[in-house]
Order: sequence, then structure tokens, then C-alpha cells
Amino acid sequence: MIFRGFQKRSKPQAEIPGASLADMAFLLLIFFMVSTRFPRDEERPIEWAVASAARRIDAKQKDILNVWLQRDGTVFINDRRLEMDVVSDVVAPLYEASGEALVISVRGDRETPYALVDRLQQELVSAGVVRVVFATRLEQRMQGQRR
Amino acid sequence: MLNRSQRRLSGEIPVASTADIAFLLLIFFLVSTTFPKDKGLAIVLPAPSEQVEVSQRDILHLAIRLDGVVEVKRGESQQIQEIRPREVEGLWRQEVASNPSLVAAIRTHPEAPYRFTVDVLDALQGANARRISLEVLEPEP
Repeated sequence: MIFRGFQKRSKPQAEIPGASLADMAFLLLIFFMVSTRFPRDEERPIEWAVASAARRIDAKQKDILNVWLQRDGTVFINDRRLEMDVVSDVVAPLYEASGEALVISVRGDRETPYALVDRLQQELVSAGVVRVVFATRLEQRMQGQRR
Repeated sequence: MLNRSQRRLSGEIPVASTADIAFLLLIFFLVSTTFPKDKGLAIVLPAPSEQVEVSQRDILHLAIRLDGVVEVKRGESQQIQEIRPREVEGLWRQEVASNPSLVAAIRTHPEAPYRFTVDVLDALQGANARRISLEVLEPEP
């Protein structure tokens, strides 16, 4: 008599419990929101040059190397302050490691004397770099049309 | 006719669709998120030992002065025309129509701000110029 009653209570159910799905989705969402970090170097205080013909850099984010050139001629690569003379020594191994796919994004202050930009360019040439982009901000009057 | 027990209101908030809402939000943001990409004026640098001979008549000399004025000189001609960086676009279109193999040689004064070069480069790229050389303007003796 006792056994019959026990069998009735333990009858298995065919449904998968779905009540915790929402919790799992939110947990995953929050985990990725909190843990995602984009590897980007720190923005430097420069005044950007503007250009209306500026195009998006056609390369993967990992293949873009930002070279900051401040008004006083200070160069920063990957948050490291460098002397102009050593730029080619720093860039050349990075260029080789990328399988020659590296694109240099020159982020120069708009008031930088051109002689410094030219020196930087010479350094990049001696590092063997081919693709260079003079990073600019898109000119305001053209923004609506270009986006 | 319903009896009393069937008409009783439930005190619980229905949560069955919360998962759908969460996933819909997740998918919406996955699809719609775009990361801001850098923009700029692309140039191709020459190889360290690369030198290309160009005939003088195929060169449009653009000398950027310290004050931002662009001095234009065509090939071997000694005639100098002074223009503003923005006018380079129209000038290039005009010149390249008569000589498709034209090369723009930009030479900037060493002390001139970098933005003047960007302005000229911008004007040239706006006019679809592809053959551009960048140099420093040597001081005149």
C-alpha cells in the first residue's frame, strides 16, 4: 500500500524548466559588458586636422598602429614616449610581425611644423612601411553626406 | 457561468517572456553596435630605395608657404600662380583633364603648420588625385 503511493509522487516530468533562462541571459550580458576591453592606446591631447575627403581606414583594428605626433615633436607609440630617431627601430619589428599588413595612422597635431611630419615620414620609410594614413576628423560641413 | 475560484486574480507578474526580451535586446545590440573607425587621408609611401623618374612637364609643383598660400608652378614654366589650398581641387581637375599622367609634387615650408599640407592633400584626394609626392620646401639660396 505504501509503495503504490510513493510511485505516484515520483513520476518524472517531460518539461525542461525554463524559468532561469532570463537570469542566464542577463548574467552573460552583464559578464561580457563588464569584462570586454578594447585594446586601444590612450588619446593624446592634440588638435586634429580636418579634411572632407577623409575615408575610413580600410584595415582590421589590430593592423592599425597609431603614431601620435604632438606639436612639440614628441612621438607616442602604444602609450610610450619615443625619440624621433628610434621610431623606425620600433615600427620595423611591428611591421614584420604583422606580415607587412600594418597601416600607420599618423595622428599629428594640426599646428605641428611640417619638418617634424617629414622626419616622421622618413622614419616610416626606413622602417619599410608602405601604407600610411594621416588621421583627421571629418570636416563638419560634409559630415551629413559622407556618413 | 464561472465560479468564484476561477475568477480570482493572480498576484504574480508573468515572467515567461523575460528571456525573450533579454535575448531580443542582446541580439539588437549585437547587430546594431558599430565601433567608431578612424578616418584619414591614405597615402602610399615609396620603398626606401625607390626613385621614379618623372618628366618635368608631367609635374604640377605645389609649394606651401609659411602663411598657407600655395604657389603653383607647372612643369618647367617659371610662372607662379598663388592660390588658397581649397582652390587646388578645381585646379587639379582642370590640369589633369589636359594631362592624365600629371603628378602633384607638394612641397611644404618646414615651419608651416601640418594642417596646410592636410588641406592641400585633402583637396587633391577630393579630386581623385592618386600620384602625389610629399617633400619639404628647401629654402631658396
